[in-house]
Amino acid sequence: MEWLGISYRAIGPELVLAVTGVLVMLLEAFSPGKKRRDGILAAAGTILAGVVALTLWDEGPRLAFSRMIIVDGFRVFFTLVILLGTLLTIFISWTFLDEERIPPGEYFALLLFGAVGMTLLVASNDLVMVFLALETITIATYVLAGYRREDLRSMESALKYFILGAFSSAFLVYGIALVYGATRTTNLAEMARLVSGSLGRAEVVLLMAGVAMLLIGFGFKVATVPFHVWTPDVYEGAPTPVTAFLSTAPKAAGFAAFLRVFSLTFAPLGIESVADQLAAHWVAVVTAMSILSMTFGNFIAIAQTNIKRMLAYSSIAHAGYVLIGVLARDWAAVAFYLLVYTIMNLGCFAIVALWARRGDERVLIVDYAGLGFRQPMLSFPLAIFLVSLAGFPGTAGFIAKFWLFKSAWGAGFPELVLIGVLNTVVSVYYYLYVVIVMFFREPREEVARVPLSRAFVATLVVTVVGVFYLGLLPTRVFAILNAAQSLLAVGMR
Amino acid sequence: MTTIPISWYLAVAAVLFTIGTVTVFVKRNAIVMLLGIELMLNAANLTLVTFSSYFRELAGQIMVFFVMVVAAAEAAVGLAIVVLLFRHRETLNVDEAQLLKL
Repeated sequence: MEWLGISYRAIGPELVLAVTGVLVMLLEAFSPGKKRRDGILAAAGTILAGVVALTLWDEGPRLAFSRMIIVDGFRVFFTLVILLGTLLTIFISWTFLDEERIPPGEYFALLLFGAVGMTLLVASNDLVMVFLALETITIATYVLAGYRREDLRSMESALKYFILGAFSSAFLVYGIALVYGATRTTNLAEMARLVSGSLGRAEVVLLMAGVAMLLIGFGFKVATVPFHVWTPDVYEGAPTPVTAFLSTAPKAAGFAAFLRVFSLTFAPLGIESVADQLAAHWVAVVTAMSILSMTFGNFIAIAQTNIKRMLAYSSIAHAGYVLIGVLARDWAAVAFYLLVYTIMNLGCFAIVALWARRGDERVLIVDYAGLGFRQPMLSFPLAIFLVSLAGFPGTAGFIAKFWLFKSAWGAGFPELVLIGVLNTVVSVYYYLYVVIVMFFREPREEVARVPLSRAFVATLVVTVVGVFYLGLLPTRVFAILNAAQSLLAVGMR
Repeated sequence: MTTIPISWYLAVAAVLFTIGTVTVFVKRNAIVMLLGIELMLNAANLTLVTFSSYFRELAGQIMVFFVMVVAAAEAAVGLAIVVLLFRHRETLNVDEAQLLKL
């Protein structure tokens, strides 16, 4: 069976996650309601998957399963980012599950199944795999978004997420069909080889249409303007730990696939080829998407009164920044940005989830008034995360933005860098507004302190340390990423 | 015997896809919107099958199986969400789902 390229090692992390997910679900069926056991098992599975992913690090680019799965540094790094996001989400959900009296087994299992889809998406080297992995993610997350069944907001969020998600999937599938018609293959490596030459006129037209459809599909999945309409509603209505998950891990996975398809497969080569013809168009469209996402996201975020909606618009703006990296075709910068974003955003949402309490009672920005010195364990970390999201020097957010803008400048997108920097300045306003409300406004009524669970403290420690470590001593991670990038460049063509 | 040219199949698929897209935009009933999405997916399937038979290879047809399975799974989850909403609201109109302002 060597020719099929079956290699269980190549899908090790996914196997571990899937088996853990099934195990958690089975345990729940036979002895329900044991949150501690299910949660620890899910966390252990996630960590084990991370260890297995690390063992794949040194295996240079290689393909498995009929060239459907790729093993390289790019994949391993993104897998680790996703697993970190999943692990922290499990911690964040700890208090939430108690308060909402939600059966923990299915919840953790769905998180793990979603993570399987994400890690597979990062590993896919074929459009069929991209489609399947994306659907695994979205179907698991539709259910998670509607998890608070008694709450109309949660149901509405699930409905909107579902209809727009399925709609965008249809675009993606149609795009894949057209690209298949033009190139006779769905394999990305094969496609990269084909588009580096020339094709017939009809094929080029089909390919253009197909790539446009793919762009729409991906645009929806990573929530960029003008395909962002679902984001604020879904983020506001979904249970807060789920929102934390949705805004980080699937985004990292979506951008990884975006990079794989656009920045690596349809990359301009600087010679007379189909790829360059295509790139002339997609680069223009993605530039527009990036500018619109940054500007729209930041300006609308200013007007928000609900902190979850504000963070939703902020995530749209951050997607715009990441697109700059996609255009610069520097996947290491994008990977670093997404790692940093995952850490600071999850930290932010951990506090928002805890403060919101049962049934999302306190999610308005004014509800944070007076939090500052009354419960510094919540307010100081939140201030750190917000400042990092805004990109202040000394925090990880600054380094991530700096690297992204630097590589975009080098790749010849100075106007995008300029717009990005201006937008960063705008974003400072609404991030700092929350900090000001926390520390300098008196609360409308005296509120009781919120008890902190051990899982929550662990989340805070990991995220705060992460923000400062990557902000002050990023060289080690830089070196790792650069090594992986040069290895990938050798293997691709 | 004259064969039907490939462009006809593709045209039918494109028309189906457009009808599906317009349905999602125009209709406000959640079930009908779901139907529109199914129509779009089937348009993609038709395109895949057409190319597959034109190229005389199987990859496209196998992809169609995947799409069908995924569509079924999606419909299962989607209908569950719609049923849940109907129980609380007694309506299928998505415009009434406006607790979260769009």
